[in-house]
Amino acid sequence: MQHPTTERLIDYIHAALAPQDDAAVHMHLDECSECRQEHAVQIRLSEMLRADAAAHERELPPMLKAQIWNAVRSLEPTAMDRVRAWLRPAYSVPVAAALIVAAFVAPGYLHHNASGAPSIDAAYYLQDHAAMNGATPFGDHSGSAAAQFEETSNVDQTVLHAVPVVGMARVSR
Amino acid sequence: MFHASKTFALGLGLLVLGAAPSDQPPGPDADGLLHLSMLAPTRLSYVGRLESVQFGGSKSEATIYRIEHRAPNLTRRWYLAPQSLFGDWSLTRGSTAYNVDVKRKRIYVSTNKVLDDQVALDDNFGLLTSNYRVLPAPPQTVAGRVTIALLLINKYTGQIAMRLWIDKETKLVLQKESYSSNGAVTRQLRFDEIRYTADLPAPVFQPPNLPGFTMGKGATHHAPSNDLLSVVKAAGFSAGFPKYLPDGFLPVAGDVSDIKSIRNLHLLYSDGIRTLSLYENALGAAVDLSRFRTQQVHFQDYTGDFVQDGSTTLLAWHDEGLHFALVGELSRAELVKIASSVAK
Repeated sequence: MQHPTTERLIDYIHAALAPQDDAAVHMHLDECSECRQEHAVQIRLSEMLRADAAAHERELPPMLKAQIWNAVRSLEPTAMDRVRAWLRPAYSVPVAAALIVAAFVAPGYLHHNASGAPSIDAAYYLQDHAAMNGATPFGDHSGSAAAQFEETSNVDQTVLHAVPVVGMARVSR
Repeated sequence: MFHASKTFALGLGLLVLGAAPSDQPPGPDADGLLHLSMLAPTRLSYVGRLESVQFGGSKSEATIYRIEHRAPNLTRRWYLAPQSLFGDWSLTRGSTAYNVDVKRKRIYVSTNKVLDDQVALDDNFGLLTSNYRVLPAPPQTVAGRVTIALLLINKYTGQIAMRLWIDKETKLVLQKESYSSNGAVTRQLRFDEIRYTADLPAPVFQPPNLPGFTMGKGATHHAPSNDLLSVVKAAGFSAGFPKYLPDGFLPVAGDVSDIKSIRNLHLLYSDGIRTLSLYENALGAAVDLSRFRTQQVHFQDYTGDFVQDGSTTLLAWHDEGLHFALVGELSRAELVKIASSVAK
């Protein structure tokens, strides 16, 4: 397939193409990085125009809503912010004193923690629980979208007993 | 002393009898519509754009993606937001998902066998109609389509747990809102655009084979067993069970797995919409919460750690050599009440 024109890409973004043409452009975008870049540019431009047009509407456009929620999320204090807060003079002196005392009197306790008792990442439990919702009507089974693009936290898992037994817990309706 | 067999027998008894906890008969038309809408994605193909928001106590996550779905179980999602996912896409073929990270040139392959478990889905639908009253709500237009709105109301508490907007013509769910026990919205899913089509070509849904991309291992989830007594026996240790569960919840499944050579028992409870997982091990393996913001919780003689991740909550604690993690879509107070009742 030849590179789609800009007009054709815009129609694709707005789902205005015939199904066959839509699929053809979709497949081409998979293979052509140049067109993917153009596609990304058009999406951004489209969203900007949409945001501008929607400025007087009562409902916020979805992209803006997403940006707001993500901005809210980013307002959470980072680990560095918390460290800075603790380094304020009101805290730093007693904290430093406490650390010195702890290092002197309790090296065994600190060593024990650092040596790493066995533990299981909480993310494993959260992901596993979300996956179980796959069999719940209207359930959300994928959890966080971002988590799907991360290396797994259960690579060391071996399932010993997980074979469904048909007919044991059927519900009569 | 609590005996697992009593709870399981009671649970299975209720399931088999299909006992309705309310005197009010279920609405057959509304239940039928609900069942049709649950199965709609298995018979409808469509393209569109979806917006999903998870509201949490301290953070929220909004995701927007373009979706192409070919019935019964081929789905492709192309992420537009958040910015960190822009351009990434995922392909789901039944229980296998290929998640393509375009920026890092990685493809993560994950499997979730739970998605193939039609028996469990049917069982849970039975639980749902036993525990929730389905009532019609005022119709609304979603993505330019006329919808029928349904409220799912908990028969015990009278609270709305979910609201669905179902396409009047096709019966596909076009918008969904889930609510917490205090009435706050916890999740929202909504089509901004949708176009039904029967012409999505199968090659679009072939597993990705992209030059220069490396494969990464995503999560693997197996379908749990509903033979709970055998599961508990396979754990090989004297497990703890909750004496208290919120009204309508029953034990529905479980599994035993070794994680980093640590044997874990997992028991799953459900009321048809909400689920609750209890994980436990007897090898002293605590829950690593270093990646999460935690709150300390004191109950009975225990000190636990509470985490809220979006609308999902987790409570971790230990007692007499057993380490527990309770995960669900329940409030902190509800988790603490359940945890307080856990006994061998």
